[in-house]
Amino acid sequence: MSTCTEVFIVYKILERKEIAMRNVWFKVHAPHVVKMLQPGQFVIVRAFENGERIPLTPVMWDKEEGWIGLIVFTRGKTTMQMNTELKEGDYFLNIAGPLGNPAPMRKYGKILAIGLYTGIVEVFPIAKAWQEIGNKVHTLQVTFEPMIILKDELEKAVSKHTAVGVPIDSEKSFPENMKNVTARAREVVRAMIKELKPDLVFMVGPVGDQKAIFKVVKEFNVPMLVDLHPIMVDGTGMCGACRVTVGGKVRFACVDGPTFNAYEVDFDELIKRSGYYRDLEMRAMQEYMQKLQGGAQ
Amino acid sequence: MMTKRKLIKNRVPTPERPAYERIKSFEEVNLGYDFDLALMEAERCLQCPEDYAPCIKGCPVNINIPGFLAKLKEHRDNPYLAVKEALRIIWACNSLPAITGRVCPQEDQCEGVCVMGKIGDAINIGKLERFIADYAREKGIDDELLMEIIPKIENKEQKIAVVGAGPAGLTCAAELAKMGYNVTVFEALHYPGGVLVYGIPEFRLPKEIVKKELKKLELLGVEIKTDHIVGRTVTIPELIEEYDAVFISTGAGTPKLPEVPGINLNGIYSANEFLTRVNLMKAYKFPEYDTPIKVGKKTIVIGAGNTAMDAARTALRLGSEVTIAYRRGEEDMTARIEEIEHAKEEGVKFMFFVNPIEFIGDEEGNVKAVKFMKMKPLDEKDSRGKRKIVPTGETITVEADTVVIAIGQVPNKIIWKTTPGLKVAENGTIVVDEKLMTSIPGVFAGGDAIRGEATVILAMGDGRKAAKAIHEYLQLRDKFISPNEKS
Repeated sequence: MSTCTEVFIVYKILERKEIAMRNVWFKVHAPHVVKMLQPGQFVIVRAFENGERIPLTPVMWDKEEGWIGLIVFTRGKTTMQMNTELKEGDYFLNIAGPLGNPAPMRKYGKILAIGLYTGIVEVFPIAKAWQEIGNKVHTLQVTFEPMIILKDELEKAVSKHTAVGVPIDSEKSFPENMKNVTARAREVVRAMIKELKPDLVFMVGPVGDQKAIFKVVKEFNVPMLVDLHPIMVDGTGMCGACRVTVGGKVRFACVDGPTFNAYEVDFDELIKRSGYYRDLEMRAMQEYMQKLQGGAQ
Repeated sequence: MMTKRKLIKNRVPTPERPAYERIKSFEEVNLGYDFDLALMEAERCLQCPEDYAPCIKGCPVNINIPGFLAKLKEHRDNPYLAVKEALRIIWACNSLPAITGRVCPQEDQCEGVCVMGKIGDAINIGKLERFIADYAREKGIDDELLMEIIPKIENKEQKIAVVGAGPAGLTCAAELAKMGYNVTVFEALHYPGGVLVYGIPEFRLPKEIVKKELKKLELLGVEIKTDHIVGRTVTIPELIEEYDAVFISTGAGTPKLPEVPGINLNGIYSANEFLTRVNLMKAYKFPEYDTPIKVGKKTIVIGAGNTAMDAARTALRLGSEVTIAYRRGEEDMTARIEEIEHAKEEGVKFMFFVNPIEFIGDEEGNVKAVKFMKMKPLDEKDSRGKRKIVPTGETITVEADTVVIAIGQVPNKIIWKTTPGLKVAENGTIVVDEKLMTSIPGVFAGGDAIRGEATVILAMGDGRKAAKAIHEYLQLRDKFISPNEKS
């Protein structure tokens, strides 16, 4: 009689490296996840016993070696704790996936694929795959100067890659600085659409920026896809936390998305939904930072 | 000569935590019988003969109820032995009595048809079942019984995949493991148990009990793979290749939401989201646990089933005033009587004959009120035997800063979207034959995945039935296929 138990799949961290400000690269052993993983799909990660389940998009992976690469951006308590505490040789508790539908793999022609901040992580595998099937892909990352990532990798993978780094003005608050990034992104996108005349624009980034960029794209009447990332709990279609209105219908981003036609998305509703827990998120982060400081004394 | 016994019409009550105390905590409400109280209650049983006893027929898995109650009386001087023998009888039909004793709608099943119920109170079968399971767990009797079974198991070669670690899947896995099969359970979430862990709150079903049941499966050699979303991580066609049979028990996990304006306002939760945040992710312990939940001052729960009661009583414990709004009348509520009573005792208010037609929000997109259409009943009954209802044309608007939608669930579509050849009904339930086999040979299904939404006990019944059917199927298959033909 075997005394086989609950199988703990070992999500060992094979590599951990801070690749840019607030951006940490984790190469993680996850053979069952990688088997069917396709560009556009995401995973749900739980890193700590008391932790949340958070959606993350693998940036690259190796099916034979059975690992996925995650770039985690410090944006709240959970991601801060991951980026602070997890070291090489440690383990993630759970990684479930792949989840969501793969990105549509069609020949569109010329594609402008935009990633704001760490949104470029999600753009990377999709842009690479689009290029491989014969599209001419131009990628763009707009972010703060010290947060530019994946530059070399994208230059190799697509027709052309542009990285725009906005300097951080230390006199101004972070939200003020973020407005500069949005403004810069709008400028650059406008110029690029004029120059490139793309057949499709694809964009990943904070939902407020998705709305801002969509407004620019709409002026030129270019088809646009967005990957949406609302708040999720299970990521399997069970809870409906991630519901969005697309084309007047309620859709679950986790099972119906994450890719949607930007022209049909109710961005204003999604912006409000994404901010619902902001006060509690801030509280959790402040308490964690206090704990970190207390521990350092 | 038989001594004449006096009939005791009234139930021996079970101790409960007082309402004022329990609304502040997630600890279990009902404290259950001890041996003496259980024995007193068992004494009330008339011991109907096995071939007649209505309770056995009323039980979806046909537990020999008079049989296990007789064991308590027979060994009254030796509680340990009494419970062990009673548990042995229950286990012949139900491997999870600590759970069913707590969550079965006994008033519609065994207790509903109890002969004593015609004279006085029905025997409190649910609480007696629970007592036996709890006592056995505390004293290690269940482990002892399991250890008697395990060495007798003859190991078989065949491998079986079970999809979904809820009540149906866990029961099927346990039964197959007892027959000696190699069983692997695939679970999408990070913890097994399905609705028992994400849905049913701690105050109704302590998670320690589910943990203990999982431990039993471990002893039986069942392997549970969490983080596996079948249809995404691995598909049913792949499982068919690798395993000799497959049992699909993926439940009904997709929440139904009313298609009315404002449904996406902040503060409107599906019951699944609300309960998952609190139960599975322990949001009630935020910020010790990272997952947050927001519950305002006034919560409206829409629906009147067990899930609605669970959500209402959870919101209450998180500090909100709670009203349950139901489109039908009081007598039509589908929740267990005990849950409705507990909700009332704890201060949950009720509105009947109201149906939401709009959710009204503020500028920030947060819900602030619910607009209802007032309904009225007709004399005519619908197919489920409930009075039909029609709108009156009159509306009522009620303030609320939190709304929980508990109007039911439908099966998740991931499975059938990724399984060519799997026959599915219009409502999303998987079509099965009388042996619970689907349109794909060797693939069986049960629980809410075939029923839409039903109860834990019916799911467990399906799990047991499917285990038997899988066993028969494999025996038959292997009789006709010579070993060299098998891959």
